[in-house]
Amino acid sequence: MIIQLKKFGTTLVSRPSGKEAWLAFQPTLNQISGDEEIVVDFAHVAVLTPSWADEFLTPLKERFNNRVKLHNIDNSSVVATLAILGKK
Amino acid sequence: MLNKLISIGDAAKLLGVSIDTLRRWDSAGRIHSVRSGPLGHRYFLQSDVEQYFQDVDSIARHWVEAPQAVEPTPDMYCKTRDVFQARLEQFQSQLSRVTPLTTASLVTAAAGEIGNNSFDHNLGNWPDITGILFSYDMKNKKVVLADRGQGILATLKRVRPGLTSADEALKVAFTETISGRYPEARGNGLKFVRSIIVDNPITLYFQTGDAYLYLKEHDIDINVRHAKASIRGCFVTIGFKDLL
Repeated sequence: MIIQLKKFGTTLVSRPSGKEAWLAFQPTLNQISGDEEIVVDFAHVAVLTPSWADEFLTPLKERFNNRVKLHNIDNSSVVATLAILGKK
Repeated sequence: MLNKLISIGDAAKLLGVSIDTLRRWDSAGRIHSVRSGPLGHRYFLQSDVEQYFQDVDSIARHWVEAPQAVEPTPDMYCKTRDVFQARLEQFQSQLSRVTPLTTASLVTAAAGEIGNNSFDHNLGNWPDITGILFSYDMKNKKVVLADRGQGILATLKRVRPGLTSADEALKVAFTETISGRYPEARGNGLKFVRSIIVDNPITLYFQTGDAYLYLKEHDIDINVRHAKASIRGCFVTIGFKDLL
């Protein structure tokens, strides 16, 4: 499965919107089969912060562990956010 | 005539502060007076008073320091998070026109994290004015955010009761992963802002209560200092002059 983050918006900054994205996406995530890879595509995301990411990416990683792959992570705020979340 | 001299009483009325406050501003160098007349009374240039209102960080500081709570002007006031989100996107779009997207996204991310922090930590507990002041000045390349919330000390004291001053609380907020909303997994916001500032030609002034810090590129330590005037909540300016 490919999750295109731009479909949640391109300025992903607040906790409530991250949490809402996570909750709204549950029915889709529930359809994922046992060994399927989950690609999170950051293409066209203009701004990302740890607040948003902590509500969406952190639980996604907790649920699917190493099956989660991150693509197109070249945006500077995406790089900075992933670096901070990685230090937790 | 903008170079007209006006009395301290008239200037205070125009600025909406007391004469004593204006004297303190003069002493602190925030606005300059001209001494005139046989008794050396203070006068102010009308142009300086007008300029004061055009300077976004002065407006924000005035708002956050004022003892009387008033709503900011509609162009700066974000009563709810939705309004802030819309204005933040507008800012990011404007900044992207004059700078690469990657650069615009860092400044927007820092502003977004700080603004949303204000909402996260004051939801349901705003002491007077709900929401934040958010403004930017593309000419002078700075962003201003302010809230009249509880401030970082009150927020962090809930999880770290030993904290006694705004100085300590500010340092903890910028150096430790700790959240005033425990047990939620939070507390990265200001560390993230710090990482952006020290890795890029961006500056940050952050004040809460009577403590402030100033951060710039390559800074390693967090040096918290005492501010002359205490404020409610938080007052922040992000400068991005050297990014463009």
